[in-house]
Amino acid sequence: MAKSALFLICCLYSGFAFSQRAGATLQCTATKTDFIYDCVIKLSKGGEPLSGAQITVGADMPSMPMAHNVKPVKAKPGAKPGEYQAKLDLDMLGEWAVKLRLAGPVKDQLILLYHFDEKGARPVTRAGKPLRK
Amino acid sequence: MDDYAIGVLTNIGLFSFLALSAYLLLIAGEMSFGQQAFFGVGAYSGGVLTAIYGLPLPLAALAAMLLGALAAFLVGLPTLRLRGLYFAMATLAAAEMARILFELYRFQREIDGELVGPDGTQGFRGIRWIFERGIEPEGYLALVWGLLLIALVFFVLVERSRLGATLRAIGQDPELARSCGISVERFKLGVAAAAGALAALGGVLFAHHNTYIEPRNFDIMLGVHSLAYALIGGLGTAVGPLLGVVLDIGALEGSRVFQGYRMIAFGGLVAVLLIFRPRGILDEKAVHWLKARFS
Repeated sequence: MAKSALFLICCLYSGFAFSQRAGATLQCTATKTDFIYDCVIKLSKGGEPLSGAQITVGADMPSMPMAHNVKPVKAKPGAKPGEYQAKLDLDMLGEWAVKLRLAGPVKDQLILLYHFDEKGARPVTRAGKPLRK
Repeated sequence: MDDYAIGVLTNIGLFSFLALSAYLLLIAGEMSFGQQAFFGVGAYSGGVLTAIYGLPLPLAALAAMLLGALAAFLVGLPTLRLRGLYFAMATLAAAEMARILFELYRFQREIDGELVGPDGTQGFRGIRWIFERGIEPEGYLALVWGLLLIALVFFVLVERSRLGATLRAIGQDPELARSCGISVERFKLGVAAAAGALAALGGVLFAHHNTYIEPRNFDIMLGVHSLAYALIGGLGTAVGPLLGVVLDIGALEGSRVFQGYRMIAFGGLVAVLLIFRPRGILDEKAVHWLKARFS
C-alpha cells in the first residue's frame, strides 16, 4: 500500500515536472534606426537555462490585433546558455505582444508583453503591477 | 511559404470574418461599430471551452457561435429600434460595455500546475488547443481559409435567394419593405444574430491562433477596421469585405518603405477612396456591370 502510494506520488510529481512550461524574459535596446531593436531572449525551464531551442520571434499589437504583420525572425544563440539574440523590426512605439514560437527541445509558444520606447523595452504593467507570466 | 506570408494570410482570413459580419449588417441598412464585442465573446468563450473544459475546437467553435448569436440578439433587441447614427452609437456603447465586462471577468482553474483562464486586465493565456495537437501554422491557415470559404459560399447562396433580395430591400428602403409585408424588425434581429455568430467564429479562431487574448484586443479600433474593410471592398457582393481586408493589409505591407508614416498615408488613401466610391470598390453598380460583362 505504502509502495503504491509512493509510486503514485512519484508519477504525479514527474508528470508535473514534465508539464512545467518554458519561460522567457526579454531585454531590448533601441538601435539607431527607428523602431528596430536588438533583443536578448533569456529562455529557461524549471529555473534552468534552456539552450538549443529554435526560436521564431514575431509581434502583434494588443490594441490593434492582426493589423500589424511584423516579419518573424529566427533568434540566434547568444553568449550565455539559455540566451538568444534577435533583431525586432516593429512598426511603431507602444505596447507589443512579442510571440516566441519554440521548437527543438521544447515545442511551445510564449507571449511576452513589453512596452517599446525610444530607448528599449520594459515589461508591461497593469494598474502598477507586473503582468503574470 | 515562409512564416511571414503565412502570418499575413492568416490575419487576412481572421479579419475577413469580422468584415463579413459588419457587411451583413450594412446590406440590411445598419452600420455597427460594435461587432468586435461578439468577436470577443467568441474568443473568450471558445478559449474557456477548450483550455479549461477540454472541449475539442469544433465543438467549442459551435458553442461560441451560439453565444455570439445570443449576445448579438440581446444587443439587437433594444438597439435595432434606433436608426442610422443612433444605432451606430448604441452598438459602440454596447461593445465598450462588453470590453469592460471582459476586464472584470475572472474565471481561472489550475491545469497541469498552472492557472489557466481569463484574469481580467491580465488577459487570458494558455489557449493551446491548436498547439498541443501539433497543428502547424500552414494547417491552421488552411483551416481558417476553409471556414472562410464555407462562409463565402453561404453568403453567395443567400444573396442569390429570396432572403438575399429581402435583405437588400430592407437595407434600401425599410418603409417600402414593410409595406410589402416584410417583418423588418424580425429580419434585422435575425441578421444581427447571424452577424454575431460569424464574428464569434472569427474570435474563436483568433484566440486559438494567438494563444493569448486580453480585453484591449476588442476595443473600438477593431470595430472601425472591420467596418472600414466592408466599406472599402464594397457592398455589392460578399467578396467585397474580403477585398477590403486584402487591400488594406496588402497596401500596408506593400508600403513598408514609408516606415511609420505608412499608416498616415494609408488613412488618407482610404478617405479619398470613400469620397469617390462611398459604397466601396465592388459596389452594387460594379457588381451589376461585372455580371453583365461576364455572364
